[in-house]
Amino acid sequence: MTASAPSLGTPPIRSAPIGQRLSGLVLPVITALVVVFLFAPLVVMVVFSFNDPAGRQNITWQGFTLDNYLTLWGRPDITGPMLTSLTIAAISTFVATVLGTLIALALTRYDFRGRSATNLLIFLPMTAPEIILGASLLTLWVSMGVGRGFLTILVAHIMFNVSFVVVTVRARLIGFNRSLEEAGMDLYADAWTTFWKVTFPLIFPGILAAALLAFSLSIDDYVITVFNAGRTVTFPLWVFGVSRLGIPPEVNVLGTLILLLAVAFIVVQLWQARRQAAAGQTVTIRGR
Amino acid sequence: MSRGRGLIPYLFLLPGGAWLIIFFAIPMAFMLLVSLQEGSLSSGYELTWNFGIYPEVIAESSDQIVRSLTYAFATTVLTLLIGYPMAYTIAFRGGRLKNALLLIVILPFFVSFIIRTLNWKMILADNGIVLGTLKDLGVLEQGFHLIATPAGVIGGLTYNFLPFMVLPLYVALEKIDPRLIEAGMDLFASRFQAFWRVTLPLSLPGVVAGSLLTFIPAVGDFINAELIGAANRDVTMIGNIIQFKYLNANDFPAASALGFVLLLGVMVLIAIYTRVVGTERLTS
Amino acid sequence: MSDEQRSRIEMAIVRAMQKDRVSRRTFLGRAGRGGIAIGAALTLPGLIAACTPGGSAALEWANWPAYIDIDEESDPNPTPYPTLNAFIEQTGINVNYSEVINDNEEFFGTIFPDLEAGNSTGWDIVTPTDWMVEKLIRLGYVQELDHSKLPNLAANAADFAVDQWFDPGNAHSVYWQGGITGIGYNPTITGRQITSFDDLFDPAFKDLGVGLFSDTRDMLSLSLLSLGIVPANATIDDVTRAQEKLLTAAEAGQFRGFYGNEYYDELSAGNLALTIAWSGDVTQMKLYDNADVEFVVPAEGGMRWNDNLVIPNGSTNVDAVHQLMNYWYDPVPATTLAEYIGYFSPVAAVPERIQADADAARADGDDAGADELEVFAATVAPTEDQIANTYPYKQLTEDEETEWNDLWLQVMS
Repeated sequence: MTASAPSLGTPPIRSAPIGQRLSGLVLPVITALVVVFLFAPLVVMVVFSFNDPAGRQNITWQGFTLDNYLTLWGRPDITGPMLTSLTIAAISTFVATVLGTLIALALTRYDFRGRSATNLLIFLPMTAPEIILGASLLTLWVSMGVGRGFLTILVAHIMFNVSFVVVTVRARLIGFNRSLEEAGMDLYADAWTTFWKVTFPLIFPGILAAALLAFSLSIDDYVITVFNAGRTVTFPLWVFGVSRLGIPPEVNVLGTLILLLAVAFIVVQLWQARRQAAAGQTVTIRGR
Repeated sequence: MSRGRGLIPYLFLLPGGAWLIIFFAIPMAFMLLVSLQEGSLSSGYELTWNFGIYPEVIAESSDQIVRSLTYAFATTVLTLLIGYPMAYTIAFRGGRLKNALLLIVILPFFVSFIIRTLNWKMILADNGIVLGTLKDLGVLEQGFHLIATPAGVIGGLTYNFLPFMVLPLYVALEKIDPRLIEAGMDLFASRFQAFWRVTLPLSLPGVVAGSLLTFIPAVGDFINAELIGAANRDVTMIGNIIQFKYLNANDFPAASALGFVLLLGVMVLIAIYTRVVGTERLTS
Repeated sequence: MSDEQRSRIEMAIVRAMQKDRVSRRTFLGRAGRGGIAIGAALTLPGLIAACTPGGSAALEWANWPAYIDIDEESDPNPTPYPTLNAFIEQTGINVNYSEVINDNEEFFGTIFPDLEAGNSTGWDIVTPTDWMVEKLIRLGYVQELDHSKLPNLAANAADFAVDQWFDPGNAHSVYWQGGITGIGYNPTITGRQITSFDDLFDPAFKDLGVGLFSDTRDMLSLSLLSLGIVPANATIDDVTRAQEKLLTAAEAGQFRGFYGNEYYDELSAGNLALTIAWSGDVTQMKLYDNADVEFVVPAEGGMRWNDNLVIPNGSTNVDAVHQLMNYWYDPVPATTLAEYIGYFSPVAAVPERIQADADAARADGDDAGADELEVFAATVAPTEDQIANTYPYKQLTEDEETEWNDLWLQVMS
């Protein structure tokens, strides 16, 4: 929670009536329920990563084993696609976020000819059915004589991610208080520094949200990737293939490991935040 | 808003715009031409400017078009109802955990779609943990199933599009100064009023962004109807039809045409939506 | 401006910042560290691979998942597939095995633009199902085989696996693995034995879950058979009648859904009481996942199908491909393959060899393993009855294909 600087005055502390206290609980409870809802299939996934199925299918519990975790590394047919997907997602997220943020900035701050056309160009990729997007891109590659593989998948992912980044970052830029920037310009007298010191930190939540969205879109994409993959196998392609006979436990293992990685990231975040607070960072006030 | 500050806006637009033009607009223009072609795999396709294909595919798949729009609308409303409290909590009660909480919201989506869906199917199996218990307790009748029903498909859509709503909402909510809300509470009698009069309007850009990010892709979705809906004829969406026409029937013109019908339809809806909500919100 | 003004503005800006102030360095640090590093390291091979289409001497083979024996325990040497490793060792020919086919039509969609343009598809050998082979031959997209390079085929292939309707004389393809499409059901749920295609239309099963395939050819052919019409001879009127039978029931909500591979989970989990199914799948299901299920070829007839190895246009490693094809008709790798996959093997000697392995296992005291092998020995080749009562698909002209697809789409939607 933010702490207010003394000079701004703290609102009087009211004793909260029961109604307010209860309604104060409503939000966290709903959130908790939503989190449970979001994670339900993941719990199943974690549990079944320890399953020891006799057959190929993994839907009934047949015995606890750690084998799946141990043998995973000797399965390049599984770890390979996962690494490929992660790499593609990381790069496409970065590039799409940069490209998309630039477009969002242009759209919200400048009135130029071709604004509506740009708006249209942003919305259309989200609208088009994936199969049309994928197949049309494939036709482009064939006509250009480009072989399909890692690079073509990357290009396709960046393409469809840009729109989502633009829309998300734009939600942050609208109503952005330019006076801060103007003050910054007075101070730094240089648009570039102003951007990095003033604008960027303020719009960062939007950029982060957009990046998270783009990453998950990329790592989960199937149809567009199928048409642009050639011989490269990404994780969703591999999973779709083997899930014909039910999800093998190795898939659950990978999923669980991803989960652990992200949880580790969260823990690091928490720890960093705690350290920042302890080190007595400048007391700041929520910005506009 | 700076008026035509020379080259700067165009410079900003250039990389992303060029990317989209080369890798999206041009291929799509080609698909538009394909939709006007006639022919077949063996005899080849010929550009005959067959505009008649458009009314043809609309008439043939009108059910699916309407159904897709309905499902997408339901999904948008549901994700809004579920996602708004979530985004609100993260934005205002999240504190230092904000980024971590955001990551939690998006986490399930790093795990492949098929894992999530198949595990959901396991949870919602006719005689599995949830439904089986309810049936044993007599709450549900024996024939009840969620798989292959509209409810199941919409549920799947909602689940899979939740982050598309939560993230933009969070982005908009997070930048609201809580002092404004407190001022609102002083001004209006109840918290609800303060929310309705202050927070909600301020978060509108997020609502718009989230609705667009959810509705638009949801209309063209096919995978939920295919996996959760088992492609039951009551739940097939336009995406399934396009899929079939393109891959199975190799009817590229019809598939393209349907794709563009979808495109145009959604564009029209967006135009109406933004007019109602106020274009200023979108374009500031 | 004065220092005081400057510092006041600076303070204001600082106050206006969020708590979570992110400097340029930390941002780049966080984002850049992980992604770029890995990306740079891994993109290089990717770049090289992408920039040299078809430059390697290795054979590029596209196949379905779970369609080859795999050793999950040891390190790849050089591949995780023992039979393939043996081939590579014997011949010195490198093989890049990719499990990228999930659906015939989807895969066709990815290679079609190249084939149409006359380019190489990037694949030397692919594994489509019989009707897709027929389509590829019809469109002139696959190369002819040189049988002088396939001695094992002539010597070891079983009768049912050669000279089929879609490729007379095996001019373009060789049999990989095959099976039967029939009905899989769970008698504990249905309450009775299932014997006929018409059982799928029994209203008593509607709530228990009846499944059909989403495949045009499978469904229309099975329906034709239930009307007493052999698919290969069906006229368009026949097909329309077959379709109407399905359409009426579909409109009444008789069918839970139209499945691809997902039917396996549903049947195994009990969400479906009976469904169209593949023979090999049900064998596996019975062994490992749900001992109650049974497979039956409908009394009126089931469909026989198989996947095949073909050489698409544009492949230049033709000699090496022939060596690979020939290899699979050697009884030794063929047996290993069949023991792993469980579908029909085209090599005549395989069932006896599996039985021999079963006997050896039993002699070693491994009864469980022996039992399993005996199940396979019985199912890796079609019985006389099954051959008599299963039919191949009809060879469709392009117009017929369109008609069939249109009719079937009506049923599904």
